[in-house]
Amino acid sequence: MNRVPISIRLLTYATGIALAVLAILPAFWLIRIALQPAGQDIDSIGGFLVGGFTLDHFKSAWNDGHLGRPLLNSVVVTLVRAAFNVVLAALAAYPLARMSFRGRDTIFVLLLATMMIPDQVVVVPMFRTVVSMGLFDSLIAVVLPFSVTAMGVFLCRQAFSAIPSELEEAARIDGANSLYIWWHVMLPLAAPTLATLFLFSVIGAWSELLWPLIVLQSQENTTLPVAVNTLLGQFSTNLRAAYAGAVLALIPIVVVFIVCQKYLKTELFAGAVKG
Amino acid sequence: MRSAHHPLTPLVFIAPAVIVLGVFVVTGFMQTIGYSLTRYTAFREPVYIGLDNYVRLFSSDRFWLCLLNSAIYLLVTPALIVLSLTAAITVEANLRGMKWLRLALFLPVITPTLVGSVAWRILLKDDGVINTILGVVGIDAVRWLTDYPFTLVSAMFVTLWKGFGFYMMIFLAALLAVPGELKEAASIDGASRFQVFRNVTLPAIRPAIVLVAIVSSISALKVFEEIFVTVRGGPITQQTVVPLIYRVAFEEGEYGLASAIGFVLFLVILVFSLVNLFLARRAGS
Repeated sequence: MNRVPISIRLLTYATGIALAVLAILPAFWLIRIALQPAGQDIDSIGGFLVGGFTLDHFKSAWNDGHLGRPLLNSVVVTLVRAAFNVVLAALAAYPLARMSFRGRDTIFVLLLATMMIPDQVVVVPMFRTVVSMGLFDSLIAVVLPFSVTAMGVFLCRQAFSAIPSELEEAARIDGANSLYIWWHVMLPLAAPTLATLFLFSVIGAWSELLWPLIVLQSQENTTLPVAVNTLLGQFSTNLRAAYAGAVLALIPIVVVFIVCQKYLKTELFAGAVKG
Repeated sequence: MRSAHHPLTPLVFIAPAVIVLGVFVVTGFMQTIGYSLTRYTAFREPVYIGLDNYVRLFSSDRFWLCLLNSAIYLLVTPALIVLSLTAAITVEANLRGMKWLRLALFLPVITPTLVGSVAWRILLKDDGVINTILGVVGIDAVRWLTDYPFTLVSAMFVTLWKGFGFYMMIFLAALLAVPGELKEAASIDGASRFQVFRNVTLPAIRPAIVLVAIVSSISALKVFEEIFVTVRGGPITQQTVVPLIYRVAFEEGEYGLASAIGFVLFLVILVFSLVNLFLARRAGS
């Protein structure tokens, strides 16, 4: 692969640039328009390049759209849900990977089988259950049904299974109990997997729209995607403010991703192919 | 194995996950089946009515139209495979800057679907950039956001845009696993780059192609947000199955009927999952 012919090199770069434009341009265009002064042509390529800049739309999205509270709610919901995703999955995965007890394999297969049931299929009973628990229109309702995923348990079990058993046995001989071993041996050694799981949970929770749309009602409990969705209807005369709201929902997750990009590993996806 | 732990320890560790998944997913699934056999609305307790909801469903035009639209939506799968495989091959090349490209191509994956849909709405407006470009090439403006079936195509653009970076990573992992010696041996034997790709690489990554085909088909069948945002307020008969579930359950308050639609969706997705299991097992043996 050292001597790539120039024609192949050019073709590869041309494809790469085209793909990069496809990937980045839509969001970039959205940001540009959210920064354009009102009255400027929203659609022309000229306006995109040379039009002015203003933060007015962000101000009106923030002040008139009341996005402060939804932003805070989204941060809380996202962090809590991602933390639960990691902790509950890692808890369940430990005995499934490292202990022998009756029913272990049955439980594991049943957990995996839940992956065959899409959320969209159980959304009605999920809603009824949350209502009957008295949790309708609460942030707990947004988190609770998604506080653990079978996929998370599966990933953690794989990571724990790869840890050499000598470490665990040494700790046992020293008299450590299971919780101690879980915390001081298993979690640190599986940290890269846990970090990846946390990152993907954050990404998923941050963008969730359907479920919060169903279980949240009041303005003060709403999450950012739901609030921006509302703005799109409400600000039909000042769409740029709604666009500014959408940009606000985009920026935090991009920052998180860029900071955490080292956890995006190809090996994780290699596991997907092996099944 | 180790019997050093207390017999109840495993259960304590597993309990939270089992309770959450048990209550919301397993019980929820059985409730979906149960509700689907009842007349159950937002205002009345469920009454058992046998298969009436299914009879109602199968004689309703909008159900069949939404199902048809979901079937049309599956066309996003071949497009996703071509685009993400192209991206993976590009990124795999041993050239400068490809790490950055990989990162850039992953950005749509982390973009909230709502935000991506809003961005594409701007590009696809009647007087938007895409129509402007089409105009330059001499193609009449298309009303992407209002004229069916272009509305579906618009949502598919978002799905494609948001998904290809993710499937690229699966293909990249598969490409990196192809033994280099195989490719070298083929090129020493005089095979061209294209022939090496065609006869060595492509067969080697077949399992990844099957996986991406199944996974992306299943997520195409579950599509909601792209449709909900891109075709905002359009008639339900021009949307897909999950938006129909949302409409029937949470706007019309017909939980029983919505559950019946949910169960039909489950059966359709089950077929794809079983094909996946079958192919994975065959590849494994």
